Amino acid sequence: MASDLLSIARSGARVARGALEVTAQNIANAATNGYVRRNVIIEEVSATGGLLKAGDISLSGARIGGIHRNADAFRQTEVRRTAGEAARGGAELQGLENIESAIEQSRVYDLTVEFEASLLALSADPTDPSLRASTMAAAGNMASGFGIAATSLTAVGEGLRFDAGAALDETNVITTELARVNIRMARAGDDSSDRATLLDQRDSLLEKLAGRADISTSFNSSGMAEVRVGGATGPVLVSGGTAGTLAATAQADGTLDFTLDGAAVTLAGGAIGGKGQALEALAIRRDALDIAAGAIIATVNAAQAGGAALDGSTGAALFSGSGASTIALAFTAGSGLATAPAGSPAGSTLAGNLTAMRSAFSGNGHAQALSDLIFAASTDVAGKRVTSEALTSIASAAQIALDQQSGVDLDQEAANLVRFQQAFQASGRAMQVAADLFDTILGIR
Amino acid sequence: MVTVSTSAFYGRANQQMGSLRARAEAMQEQIGTGKRLSRSSDDPAAASRLRSLDRRERLSKVDQGNSDRATTDLKLADNAVSSMADIVIRAKELTLQARTTVMSDAGQKAIATEITALRSELLSLANARDAAGHALFGGEAAGDPYVETAGVVSYGGVGTAPQTDLGDGQSVQRSMTGPDILSFGGTDLFEVLGTLAAGLASGGATATGAAADALGLLDAGLEKVTTAQTVIGTRQAWVETIDDRRTVTTELITDERINVGGADLAGTITRLKELTTVLEASQASFVRLSGISLFNQLN
Repeated sequence: MASDLLSIARSGARVARGALEVTAQNIANAATNGYVRRNVIIEEVSATGGLLKAGDISLSGARIGGIHRNADAFRQTEVRRTAGEAARGGAELQGLENIESAIEQSRVYDLTVEFEASLLALSADPTDPSLRASTMAAAGNMASGFGIAATSLTAVGEGLRFDAGAALDETNVITTELARVNIRMARAGDDSSDRATLLDQRDSLLEKLAGRADISTSFNSSGMAEVRVGGATGPVLVSGGTAGTLAATAQADGTLDFTLDGAAVTLAGGAIGGKGQALEALAIRRDALDIAAGAIIATVNAAQAGGAALDGSTGAALFSGSGASTIALAFTAGSGLATAPAGSPAGSTLAGNLTAMRSAFSGNGHAQALSDLIFAASTDVAGKRVTSEALTSIASAAQIALDQQSGVDLDQEAANLVRFQQAFQASGRAMQVAADLFDTILGIR
Repeated sequence: MVTVSTSAFYGRANQQMGSLRARAEAMQEQIGTGKRLSRSSDDPAAASRLRSLDRRERLSKVDQGNSDRATTDLKLADNAVSSMADIVIRAKELTLQARTTVMSDAGQKAIATEITALRSELLSLANARDAAGHALFGGEAAGDPYVETAGVVSYGGVGTAPQTDLGDGQSVQRSMTGPDILSFGGTDLFEVLGTLAAGLASGGATATGAAADALGLLDAGLEKVTTAQTVIGTRQAWVETIDDRRTVTTELITDERINVGGADLAGTITRLKELTTVLEASQASFVRLSGISLFNQLN
């Protein structure tokens, strides 16, 4: 087969034009999230010489062999893994910060110290009605402080569960979409531009998925993704065209149990995992707050029962309820405070029982217990903040590393634009030469 | 070949300038509030220490209030007791006059009247009230501790003088009970003055005899009253000592609070300045770099 200069030139022009189109596509998508830079693979078209024609030139120009998608599977895996970790760390940290604020900003510690201080002030003159009233007010404020802390913690829990639920719904949408992409992938031709777009979609869906749950991913030869949840041996979330459904049920203590198509599954990573971990921390802090409130109720009520109120009667319980959310004043009149020792007459100025109550209050370390509670909550935050910052910077480093390799470099594209434009012009020139040659032959006289 | 993709360049610049900005804002907050910690998790151990310092400071403030109350009561008691001493001294002067035989019966009677007046003055002093309106010398009794029935004054107080906690396990009795001031040797000043007034009112030898008897008793009574005055003075001094100690402790607490939770202004401002310089430099270099594009050079 002989060569045809005109068709060689034509194929060259077509290749250059295709390359220019791909370059223009790259430039257009320079800022598109998840877009991976495309290259054209240009192949030479030539035939080996036939029998007895070994010396023949049989060249047919060039063709576009495929659209190469410049993705690095390792870096993509890293981005997914680190993004999942960072999302988990971020979600957990946010939850823990809310827990810390709920306890600290209820000022329950300050209000408890204030109650302790009011008992001390009352000891200067146990029969003074205004000091008694201020002690009652301080006791009421402390009870409200516990109430506010409990309500805020409940609100934090609701927020976390709502967020986790929303993330689960999004996950289910993403997995369905991923299954659909898998099916289309099976039909797309190798190295087609269609396939590159599907791969982009697949990768960006996987990235979103990794941000929400801990997944491990494998690909078959045609690029279809199989996703497992909770590590490489976990249950299958997406395989081929089928996607499982994740769901969550709230437990009595406010923590979440997750299921995949009805079977229990552990979600330890991603935003959902982070929310779950924050909810576990919340349950612990809530218990501690309830115990602290219960201990104060027990100490004060026991001390009340061991003394005499202003009218000489045995002291009644000052607090009702059993935990942070239920603690409340059982009576409001300051005269009910049992400051005098048991059996004292009405109007006794003795402060024996008040002293006993005060020493029990500081001896049992109620204020210290609350301080320790805040300390524990804030240590959690401080520790996780360091972790989260590290995870975030690792994740963004991985993202930048991927961008560097797969992202669009406008300078490079500008250079390609010039290069392929010149190639196009050169092919045009080759056509001109072919025409001239033909004219030359026609012009022989 | 290492390529720098455009989005990677913008992403990195964004991240670097964002983190510089966040650090600068954290420092600005420290300078603005004067506090190093805006929430416990900034430094959990220091925050825990601050909470316990806050508690000590709050309780110490109440201790100071209680101590001020005790001081007021002790001052009231001091005034009352020194007035009592004046009364006893005046009674002694009168008794010395009454003892002389040259004194007429009318004169004795006049002195008897004055002694009776002094006695009732003493009674009202003994029933004085403290700052909160309770009996100053009645221990834990609610009403008047000394009651006069049919010319006899009896003490109805209960227990000991009330105590006030001054903090750090120290306490002070903020007054004394009536018998601690007025009773001695099986009698009290009311009885002595009553007997004296009755004797003087009789006139003649009975009057001089009564005056002679009373003189020794009045001496013993005066000694008891001045002793009480000394005790009250010692207690006032004790309260002051504890107050001084509390002031020192409060200063230490304040110092420690500043050390633990206060912002190091000079250091923070210097670091903020350094940080803003870096931030400005990276902004300027970002603008320059982002302005370079091959497209600008192609015509």
